[in-house]
Amino acid sequence: MDKAVELNSVDTTYEGEKIPCLKGISLQIKKGEFIAVIGPNGAGKTTLLETINGLLESNKGEVKVLGKALRGDGNDIRKYVGYVPQDYSIDELTPFLVSDVVLMGRYGKIGLLKPITKKDREVAKNMMEYMGIDGISKRPIGKLSGGQAQKVMIARALAKEPEIILMDEPFSNLDFEARREVSDKLIHFHKNRGMTFVIVIHDIASIPKACNRVIVMDNGRIVADGNKEDILKPELLEMGYKGIVC
Amino acid sequence: MLEIFSTKIILFAIIGAILTGYTCSLMGTFVVRMNLSSLGFAMSHAAFAGAALGIFLRKDPLIFALLFSTFVSLALGPLADKAKLKTDVVIGVIFSLSMALGLLFLNLSPDTAMSSTALRILWGSVLGMTTADIIYLLIITVIAILFVIMFFKEINSILFDRKLARASGINDKPFYYLILFLTSLTVAFSLKLVGGLLVFALMINPTSSVYQFSYDMKKIILFSPIVGVISCLLGMLMSFSLDLPTGSSIAIVCSIIFGISVLISPKRRKG
Repeated sequence: MDKAVELNSVDTTYEGEKIPCLKGISLQIKKGEFIAVIGPNGAGKTTLLETINGLLESNKGEVKVLGKALRGDGNDIRKYVGYVPQDYSIDELTPFLVSDVVLMGRYGKIGLLKPITKKDREVAKNMMEYMGIDGISKRPIGKLSGGQAQKVMIARALAKEPEIILMDEPFSNLDFEARREVSDKLIHFHKNRGMTFVIVIHDIASIPKACNRVIVMDNGRIVADGNKEDILKPELLEMGYKGIVC
Repeated sequence: MLEIFSTKIILFAIIGAILTGYTCSLMGTFVVRMNLSSLGFAMSHAAFAGAALGIFLRKDPLIFALLFSTFVSLALGPLADKAKLKTDVVIGVIFSLSMALGLLFLNLSPDTAMSSTALRILWGSVLGMTTADIIYLLIITVIAILFVIMFFKEINSILFDRKLARASGINDKPFYYLILFLTSLTVAFSLKLVGGLLVFALMINPTSSVYQFSYDMKKIILFSPIVGVISCLLGMLMSFSLDLPTGSSIAIVCSIIFGISVLISPKRRKG
């Protein structure tokens, strides 16, 4: 099996805390899968994403991304992993333009002492067009609405052309119409590029159609993991995960 | 002969002002964006403590001033990271410690009274610029410019957001520490011109003025040093014409430019 991500008995504890936020997580994600992670607040969904991309260091177990064990700061791995953070708040006076923020998504991939090429600028421009934000490319990022800023963050992550993309509640600031539009774009991207998607979603109704697997988390553990159809059966939701998902 | 000597002093003062204005304001773009405005304050007081130690030991105060501010810059980043505190909090601790040490060393000095050498570190003495001072300033200016050109991607990304920079595969820590280190060197080498108490005005005011006109970090990085140079030259002109202290004159000019920028800023205009 061609694995994109592999976690073996992983515990992640925040510095200064005693109780781990992730407890004994074992998980395998195949390349090209589209996974939704659901669960209540504090279930460990964000911690799971940040353990996968190495922003948080696990203190027990093993994390492998694209076949390589995450060690040290994990910068090398992150060049191949896109990340859209949860509810990213931007100060109104932030002195950066939308086009710069999207292009920055590629900086880690370009590497030290290497110049930004024409191709880098083209990819960033294409991603802005793809996400429908090319019209606001020269606007200051702090002046955008929450939904527009969220689209910028998605475009920034996609501009990296990563092999794996981790998204933390990417639809939270979008209205119903925009959710469907962005969701369709992600599905299209997944279909055409074969990218691995792991998306944390709070609202089950927002799970994209292309999603073939759902992971349910609660209290730092995976409580269910399987096909979307199996996991989201009304009777299971009612009985098994009552109160866990909404 | 006396005329040539005074022309040389003025020339050195002007060159020193251009280099100091440029570098302080260039590093100021990072200091302002990263909310490290108290950094210059802490560095200058560390330099003051070092100078006081130099006086106490009867050695060159400037070398000790450099050593102290460099030590602070090297300790600051890792200390803030390890202590899980905001850098500004650690700066506050270092500031009070530096001030206490400075006064302690001066008190222990044989001359007891506040030495004029230590005061020069705090207030600056532009007419005392030597060839060595100019060379040091030139070196730090070239290093700062090269740093920005060579690592523009990484710096720009970190200035936007450290965590997002890390998420995109940039090793943010070395760059963050380098920014702190270069800032401290800039402060230490600018002491001669504006003095420790006013150096941070030269770091913060030009950048804050340019901030009033642009939302584009590239332009802010480009124009802040130019405003810094203009502030220094106008400040020196004011100082020489009205026979006022140079450091204070530069700080006043910086503040006037900032005040005017706020008043005419298009960011506050509606419609």
